[in-house]
Amino acid sequence: MGSAAHNHDHGHGHGSYLTPKGGFMTTVFDWATTVDHKKIGVMYLFAILFMFFLGGLAAIAVRVELLEPVRVAADGVITGQLFAPADQKAVGPGNEIYNRLFTLHGAIMVFMVIVPSIPASLGNFFLPLMLGAKDVAFPRLNLLSWYIYVIGSIFAVSSIILGGVDTGWTFYTPYSTTTGNEFGRVIFMVMGAFILGFSSILTGLNFIVTVHKLRAPGMGWFDMPLFVWAVYSSAIIQVLATPVIGITLLLLTFERVFNVGIFDPKLGGDPVLFQHFFWFYSHPVVYVMILPGMGIISDVLSVHSQKKIFGYRAIAYSSLGIAAVSFIVWGHHMFTSMSEVAGVVFSGLTFLVAIPTAVKVFNWISTLYKGSIALTTPMLYGLIFLFLFSIGGLTGLPLGTLSTDLHLHDSYFVVAHFHYVMMGGTIMALLAGMHHWWPKMFGRMYNEFWAKVGAITVFVGFNLTFFTQFFLGTQGMPRRYASYIDEFQIYHQISTLGSLILFLGFVIHFFVFVASLASGRKAEQNPWGGLTMEWEAASPPTEHNFDHEPLCKHGPYDYDTTVPPGWDPKDYPIPAENLKAAKEAH
Amino acid sequence: MLTTFLSLTTATLASTADGEPGFWFKTWLGEPTRSPVAGHSDSAFMYIWWFCVVWFIFLMGLMFYFVIAFRRKPGKIAPRSRDHNSKLEIFWTIVPTLMLVHIFWIGFEGYMEKVTPPGNAMELKLTGYKWSWDMEYPGGVVVNRGTSAGKVATDAAETVPIFYIPADTPIRLRMNSTDVMHAFWIPNFRIKSDLIPNRYTGLWFQASLPASGPTIKYHLKSKAEENLKADPNSTFSEALAGEPYEDHWIFCAEYCGTGHSEMAGIIRVVSAGTYKKWLADQANPSTLSPAERGARIYKARCISCHSVDGSSGTGPTWKNMYGYPFAHTDGTSHVNDDQHIAEAIRYPNKHIRADYPAGGMSAFPESLLSNKQVEYVIEYMKTLSDKAPATTPEETQKPAEPAGAATPAEKK
Repeated sequence: MGSAAHNHDHGHGHGSYLTPKGGFMTTVFDWATTVDHKKIGVMYLFAILFMFFLGGLAAIAVRVELLEPVRVAADGVITGQLFAPADQKAVGPGNEIYNRLFTLHGAIMVFMVIVPSIPASLGNFFLPLMLGAKDVAFPRLNLLSWYIYVIGSIFAVSSIILGGVDTGWTFYTPYSTTTGNEFGRVIFMVMGAFILGFSSILTGLNFIVTVHKLRAPGMGWFDMPLFVWAVYSSAIIQVLATPVIGITLLLLTFERVFNVGIFDPKLGGDPVLFQHFFWFYSHPVVYVMILPGMGIISDVLSVHSQKKIFGYRAIAYSSLGIAAVSFIVWGHHMFTSMSEVAGVVFSGLTFLVAIPTAVKVFNWISTLYKGSIALTTPMLYGLIFLFLFSIGGLTGLPLGTLSTDLHLHDSYFVVAHFHYVMMGGTIMALLAGMHHWWPKMFGRMYNEFWAKVGAITVFVGFNLTFFTQFFLGTQGMPRRYASYIDEFQIYHQISTLGSLILFLGFVIHFFVFVASLASGRKAEQNPWGGLTMEWEAASPPTEHNFDHEPLCKHGPYDYDTTVPPGWDPKDYPIPAENLKAAKEAH
Repeated sequence: MLTTFLSLTTATLASTADGEPGFWFKTWLGEPTRSPVAGHSDSAFMYIWWFCVVWFIFLMGLMFYFVIAFRRKPGKIAPRSRDHNSKLEIFWTIVPTLMLVHIFWIGFEGYMEKVTPPGNAMELKLTGYKWSWDMEYPGGVVVNRGTSAGKVATDAAETVPIFYIPADTPIRLRMNSTDVMHAFWIPNFRIKSDLIPNRYTGLWFQASLPASGPTIKYHLKSKAEENLKADPNSTFSEALAGEPYEDHWIFCAEYCGTGHSEMAGIIRVVSAGTYKKWLADQANPSTLSPAERGARIYKARCISCHSVDGSSGTGPTWKNMYGYPFAHTDGTSHVNDDQHIAEAIRYPNKHIRADYPAGGMSAFPESLLSNKQVEYVIEYMKTLSDKAPATTPEETQKPAEPAGAATPAEKK
């Protein structure tokens, strides 16, 4: 096992993992060949944030294009097309650029940002720390996953350099098997997604083994932080579902390259089969995206209100429950292309998945009851998550309901709904986690005031951008349209204005983080008073994480039994007699 | 108790469907639908909306109350409180479950109505292709944007087909696609279904006309109104004079490529009597010359790639194409006579023009264009060329036919 390579060697283990190993080239080489889960986590974080920036630029371009509908005046002058070639004679070329932009946005955000975001960056960094382990179970495999991620991203992004892909991130057949004469681009994008799948599988496998085998002495399954439970549940989905998309994308490539008829009716295939295959992966993966975010929220709400999480077991089991049910609801993406009987069955199953999700929200809000709530930036993002995720969850109801979905399917209502869940859920949770663990990761505090200004800007921009899209959807605006009828324009203008505010919010966060790295105040070991094991490590952690073999002395959220009255988290560690009492109570 | 609850909510649903729409109904769904089966799903939507509002306000109210009431105060620590409560947790698992079962049931009821056409429904055959629709009426009349077209806005890029539908008659569509997946959506009727290349799918609806008198009422707003009033491309404006009709958008909802956002259409609901007159006129368009018919086919099938004003699109312009010689990539050169154009329509890759890329045009076999229709198209091309053989003096002097006259203005 890889971690055996790290013999307990105090001579090297005491420095921060961030301390450079020598000159510039030596340090670069050290990072590029590291098997340290913390460095790999940080490298993932920066890679993912870079891709988030690229995908965000594409989104802004899409929004700006939609400020005006496309119009052709009597003299042939085309207006409302931002990206059309100068000598355009038709709206077609401008539409094609728009189609490539939204495909780029979707593919990057799904495959390169949201799926790996929390597990690969914060999960990699904190899963072993929270378990009291020195590293993940297979450190070299972990590094390999990162390289596979980078190679997959390069593959996918290179399709842009070759001219872009216009299939939508869903690659629906037979459009995806027939579009574009230079089919290499679609193949590049598909192969990129295929390669990224391996990164996902290997990371998932690594985490499952780590959770099973590397928990600190004394830590039972129900002593694990809920973030670990959530990452564990999503790792199971990753390992089981990702091979399906791998096979599907491979079949797609076979069809394009060798003309094997699988999905294209012209060759004897069935396009609906592709949708089944695709959503059999892509629906469970929705929960790969959201479960780790739910884990972060469980931790953040508990720590920043210094209150034991309400219904620990219910939250842990509901994570597993969601993981299980997620495999049998894929058909709700296909109510308009399936048989009626299948539609009814999948609608019923879809409502099933709403229940554990609702239970989680009830538990989170109950956790706040009689807490000691500090409105720090992570807590603010926790509350923003609850607000936006509740809207996202509730607006799922008319989509799961059969009669209303026949109207709302493939409309802007769907676009708004999944942005509330994916961005309002996962990305807000990622931001909560980044602000929560930033002091631990980099040993520096950030400016709380400006971070909160950023959070509120993001919140306002987000709602302006996406709430308007619910109205667009119910009034008849289909998704993936480069143009629209006049009465929709006011909604599109508000939405675009919101997206620019949203962008501004992220710019503020960027500068807050840069300023923190450059000149932030040195962080305490435990600035928020968390009881999970990562706070027992130094800020930033030493290379071997812990100076001693950590022991699990209390539950992850046992504030009531562990913390003495009047104790300030900054006076870490907790007095020994309290720990003893807590252990007995536990 | 459960049955009382169910019947109670069903009664609420019925009453909201009949009454004047409230502010939130108008904000979400606009005008009340004219389709009777859509009324149920509108009520269901508004029911879910109020369900969501109540839950959201309840949850967020609690959250904000807790955040304010239990904010951190210096020197004070949180008192011990319960970290779980089995009774409460069972309660808040079971109650939402029952509510969700109820919502599922409402959706199921409405769905069965929406997907089960009455036995006496009139069947129309809809074909989707990149990027428009053809509707085949009983008796073999095919309507597309070549035969009956309006525009999304006065300055919109493309024309869209107008499909006439008799009021108060159940209509069943049998749908198919000739290329990729499309989806047929009439937002005003809250109904949508995919068009799939290798199978027939279906959808049904029924529309009523407003009870008001003979005034023309439009469901479409904005510039589309003025345009549709003028309706320069419709061959049937005069029959509609004074007759009430109402228009509804059709959109393609399944992404299908370059022209996806222009793949619209219009459902025009007219009285049963007007519909009959219109259909008879469509079935026997004896007043049209071959070139006029060709112009209609052009607008339905060719306009997205070929211009008629000399500008270059995806394919060559038709202005001054007929009768002129062009060089091909295989080194040959042909004069574009009837024989050569017919061949180029059926087998576009046999000779590829030197100034256009290979594979730019898909073939039009007889299933898409009959031999007669190819003849009409060629007749139309002749009117666009100064080398066309003169038949009558008038025809050469006015190269643009009435339908063609509108074309350069709307051309991209």
